Amino acid sequence: MTDPKPAPAKPAARPWIAPLELDPERVDPVRPAEPPPRRSPPVPPVELTPDRVVAVPPGGDDGEEATEDAAEATPPLAALLDRPKSRAGRWLAAAVAALLLVALGFDTADLLQRSFAASVALGAAVALLTAVAAGATLTLVVKELVSLRRLRRIEALRGEAGHLTADGHGGADRFAGGVAALYAGRPDLEPALARLKDAVTDAHDDGEVVRLIDRELLSVIDRRAYQAVLRASRDTAIGTALSPAAILDLLVVLWRNLKLVREVSGLYGARPGYLGSLRLLRRMLANLAVAGVAESAHHVAVEALGGSLAAALSTRLGQGVINGLLTARVGLAAMHLCRPVAFGPANRPSLGRIRAELLSLPKQVL
Amino acid sequence: MRIPDLTDLTAAGTRLFDHVEGLAGRALERNLRLGVTGLRRSGKTVFMTALVDNLLHGGRLSFLDVASSGRLLAARLQPQPDADVPRFDVERHRAALTGDDARWPDPTRGISQLRVAVRFRTGSTVRRVVRPTVTLNLDLIDYPGEWLMDLPLLALSYAQWSAETLALAERGPRAALSADWRGWLSTIAPDAPAAEEAARRGAALYTTYLHACRSADTLLSIIQPGRFIEPGDLENAPLLTFCPLPGDRGGRGSLWALMEERYDAYKTHVVRRFFSEHFARLDRQVVLVDVLGALNAGPDGVADMKRALETSLEPFRHGSSGWLDWLFGTRIDRVLFAATKADHIPADQHGDLRRLLDTLVADARSAIRFNGAEVDTMAIASLKCTDTVAVEHEGRTLRCVRGIPVGRDRPTVLFPGEIPDGHAIFPPGQEQPYRFLDFRPQPGTGADGRGLPHVRLDQAMQFLFGDYLE
Repeated sequence: MTDPKPAPAKPAARPWIAPLELDPERVDPVRPAEPPPRRSPPVPPVELTPDRVVAVPPGGDDGEEATEDAAEATPPLAALLDRPKSRAGRWLAAAVAALLLVALGFDTADLLQRSFAASVALGAAVALLTAVAAGATLTLVVKELVSLRRLRRIEALRGEAGHLTADGHGGADRFAGGVAALYAGRPDLEPALARLKDAVTDAHDDGEVVRLIDRELLSVIDRRAYQAVLRASRDTAIGTALSPAAILDLLVVLWRNLKLVREVSGLYGARPGYLGSLRLLRRMLANLAVAGVAESAHHVAVEALGGSLAAALSTRLGQGVINGLLTARVGLAAMHLCRPVAFGPANRPSLGRIRAELLSLPKQVL
Repeated sequence: MRIPDLTDLTAAGTRLFDHVEGLAGRALERNLRLGVTGLRRSGKTVFMTALVDNLLHGGRLSFLDVASSGRLLAARLQPQPDADVPRFDVERHRAALTGDDARWPDPTRGISQLRVAVRFRTGSTVRRVVRPTVTLNLDLIDYPGEWLMDLPLLALSYAQWSAETLALAERGPRAALSADWRGWLSTIAPDAPAAEEAARRGAALYTTYLHACRSADTLLSIIQPGRFIEPGDLENAPLLTFCPLPGDRGGRGSLWALMEERYDAYKTHVVRRFFSEHFARLDRQVVLVDVLGALNAGPDGVADMKRALETSLEPFRHGSSGWLDWLFGTRIDRVLFAATKADHIPADQHGDLRRLLDTLVADARSAIRFNGAEVDTMAIASLKCTDTVAVEHEGRTLRCVRGIPVGRDRPTVLFPGEIPDGHAIFPPGQEQPYRFLDFRPQPGTGADGRGLPHVRLDQAMQFLFGDYLE
């Protein structure tokens, strides 16, 4: 609570309606999904002097600019996952995939034919295996698509939350329904959901509903996700410090990061499938490249100090701390990407506590 | 003009003493004096009742950080610090609000006080090591809103006050109400020798005029001196037998001199005492404003309320002066302007109500911010007694309020009119653009044990003392 902000400007005036009292029987008990339109006031015909005319700026009104700002603040997950590829690459991939599929089909048909020719029992067994394989593949693809859709839905929810401001009323119902549907059937979140349902009343405006969802429901998930990140970064730090070979480091870090991302996104209800995880993995590899740089810098520092045993030990520990911090960063990024409401300045998860925890590790080990 | 801090050495001494005591006590618990200020009928008593009830039950405080993060342990009522002030009867007020025959509390007639002790776990990791749980003593004072209008008198001499009051009495709706008293004024000579009979007669006529102002439809707020209306323990005291007189100076022993003497005595013994005992020691202040009532009353009501608010806020010590605070005691460093009874309009107009309040208190607000205090505005309802519903009306979806109006048994649905932008509150050509009905609490309110339902009371609490609960 630093500087109290003045109330935002009112968007548009509405046509005036005289006060009136109505029959309670006629009241529609359900709130409409859309807020009543705020029409601009009727303007009577009027003649104006041309010198007061101002050119209309291209590109529509402020609302769209706000969207772009919001989009810039948090990189959308879908955009991260589906980077624009060159058209030739896409054609190549599609053609190769089609070729493989056709080849696979031919091979399977051929195999079936030959096994039936050998014996009926063998043929039946192979046919069964084929059916199982086909069914499993289909299931996987469907699951993958569903998980991608879930990611997109969270994405859409976050975009919607950015639009819901203090001036609207009733527009947050759909958003709240979407969030509730996302977390429905999660026994661990049932108390939070019940609390949220109690807290939201008809007197809250859209912005307040979003803030309530943030405070009552998402903060519970935040705490758990933060704990997961903390655990993972400690694991990575210790694992790196103890591992005897560099390649082991890499594997430990990779495995732990992948697990962490799946864990965090699962907590937020956005469990990405294998495809999504692979894409996130690519991002993590970029992070690991930074780890390589940090390692060499550490070596330089140790060399300069004169490679005593303690220095060598501290190199391992230092690497551990840095790898832990990188894991934490990956985890926090996952939190940012999977949250249906963007973090505000007050509740943004900070590296600070994780850093403090990690920096106390060398002391504990030495 | 504000009162210099050292003119009243007693007050400064009290503050200093308070402060030393506060320093000593800070190790164990924190104290906070919350000033609930507001003109009459702005909802001070209901605000305090709802605030205390919600703290005690803690079930509807989603926006109060200490409660939503689960650090609030419990709150309970404590014996108040000032033994000579009656206790604020929160149980009786709550029973009146939630009973079968729910009604609003009667107008407050005297001062009362209550202390709520809030026990909570500290949020910061460092302090948690030193002291895991802390108690905050929250002191609240209830008093008749009429008395608040006495505070501007502190800065006015008798001559100044007389001139202002006379000018005001001749204008607008007050002219008719003050006719009798002004008629009497024209028959007497202020510089004639003082006669107790004349003084009594004048005071009686003036009091009648003030009573007429109070019961007028236009909700006139400037009613000075407040004790003429709500005498409290001063009924029939000579302190209350004066009234404004025209003229500049009376000779020795004249009626004018007698009145001036009594006016000064009133200022010293009533107003200054009230101020230094209860208001000079405030840490935080909430100013409740009945914007809807003023809108109902029309342009005169709004203008009157605006002026009353501005003048009555002047004597408070706002802002923060850093280390000087240590010497002179704390100043009010956060002020909240709250438009009460926001549940009497549909929820989609709350933003408009807040903007209207912004324009009404713009001057007072910038003056307080200039002094270095934080200011915020909100539209709140201490006790929510209506629902917002949607109704199809002539092809448009209207947001209306549904509730039971005062004096009726059946619920009604009301579209009270739309609050426009601040500058055009009363557009010409629209007779009676607003009709805000008074609604009464719904039966069964607060029966679920989670605290009285409210609108943004938790946000008001977070702004007013959320940082004391860290």
